[in-house]
Amino acid sequence: MNAIDTPLFLAPSQTRVPPVTALDAAAPDAAALAALIGRVAAARDRTAFAALYKHFAPRVKAYLVRAGMVGGEAEDVTQNVMLTLWRKAEYFDPARAGAATWVFAIARNARIDHARRKREVAMPDMEEPEAPDTAPSAEALTLAAERDTRLRGALNTLTPEQRQIVQLSFFSDTPHAAIASALNLPLGTVKSRIRLAMGKLRAVLEEGL
Amino acid sequence: MIKHHPSAETLLSHAAGTLAAGHALVVAAHIEGCAHCQAELARLEATGGALLDEISPAAMEPEAFAELLARLDEPAPPPPPAPRQAELALPPGLRLPKVLKTAEIGRWRWIGPGVRHAKVRLPWAREQTLMLLRVAGGRRVIHHSHGGAEFTQVLWGGFHDHTGQYGPGDIGEADETTLHQPVADEEGCICLASLEGGLRLPWLSRLFGG
Repeated sequence: MNAIDTPLFLAPSQTRVPPVTALDAAAPDAAALAALIGRVAAARDRTAFAALYKHFAPRVKAYLVRAGMVGGEAEDVTQNVMLTLWRKAEYFDPARAGAATWVFAIARNARIDHARRKREVAMPDMEEPEAPDTAPSAEALTLAAERDTRLRGALNTLTPEQRQIVQLSFFSDTPHAAIASALNLPLGTVKSRIRLAMGKLRAVLEEGL
Repeated sequence: MIKHHPSAETLLSHAAGTLAAGHALVVAAHIEGCAHCQAELARLEATGGALLDEISPAAMEPEAFAELLARLDEPAPPPPPAPRQAELALPPGLRLPKVLKTAEIGRWRWIGPGVRHAKVRLPWAREQTLMLLRVAGGRRVIHHSHGGAEFTQVLWGGFHDHTGQYGPGDIGEADETTLHQPVADEEGCICLASLEGGLRLPWLSRLFGG
């Protein structure tokens, strides 16, 4: 490529990067994310951490906001979640859970802990399995990625209403009330709707085994 | 062989993090010894992971990453001090669930003929009513109803009530609509129980309530 065709200095208006949204960001796939966590664990790799941060921090923040935290709180707790990811990376074992699943569990625990913070005593960290001795094999990474892909596929088989039920079950602080009001259902029928949605998810997952 | 597991709704709330702290501890004690529920929880958490991955992201403040980078070398906070735990006389072969390591445990106290309990307190959720219950062979735990949900994980021995027979590893779930009268098996029964709303018996809730 001719260097002249690629100017080194662009006018400020040209350098502005458009805001990255879910639609245009090429999100790293599950195996790539797992490999990035592996690099943080093995070598405290800050470049890998930056990529993980870019992917997960805005998602964790969105999750915490949906769980009822206001912006500033959600931002602070997200920072703590990402710091935990940095510190505990060696406990991540892709043979047990995908990267997003592991980060979800950290974020969920941080959310429970935050609700308790005014009591001064922090909740103990999640039960830590033994840190795996060796770096995950390519095979383990592929398996983890396949499992994540299958789950996403299963979520896609739900009706929009069922998907909303599952989302609210995981994201809302008061899932039953939230589902009743979002879908305009009597509280009494919410339980059975949750059961139906989760049952369908499960059936699809088991089919794929 | 574990016959009684937490309900699907309970496991879902546990995975989502919305189960009350006391119940969550009892459910965690069950999961610790139950491969079936471990797999179930893993599947639910993976669902949480998939939902997290597809959530519409919320932008962080522009300086957030630089600020975090500056904190990466900070030492991790020290682990909390070990909670106070009484030396409980336990039948040989009974090991308390690992999740209890983070809890304060009191002494056995007599609360009725053939029934003793040891209070369990979570330092981060002291308001929760949790206890180890030790019931002598053939004794009834008293006819009681609940102000809310009750979870009972059998650690040793067993009991039965109108919903069936419960042995080591089994978990019982009862709610405010349940009137139950568990009877301990011949060798007796030790379980870990969480109560919401306390028992609806004035003198007992005074003892249990705390």
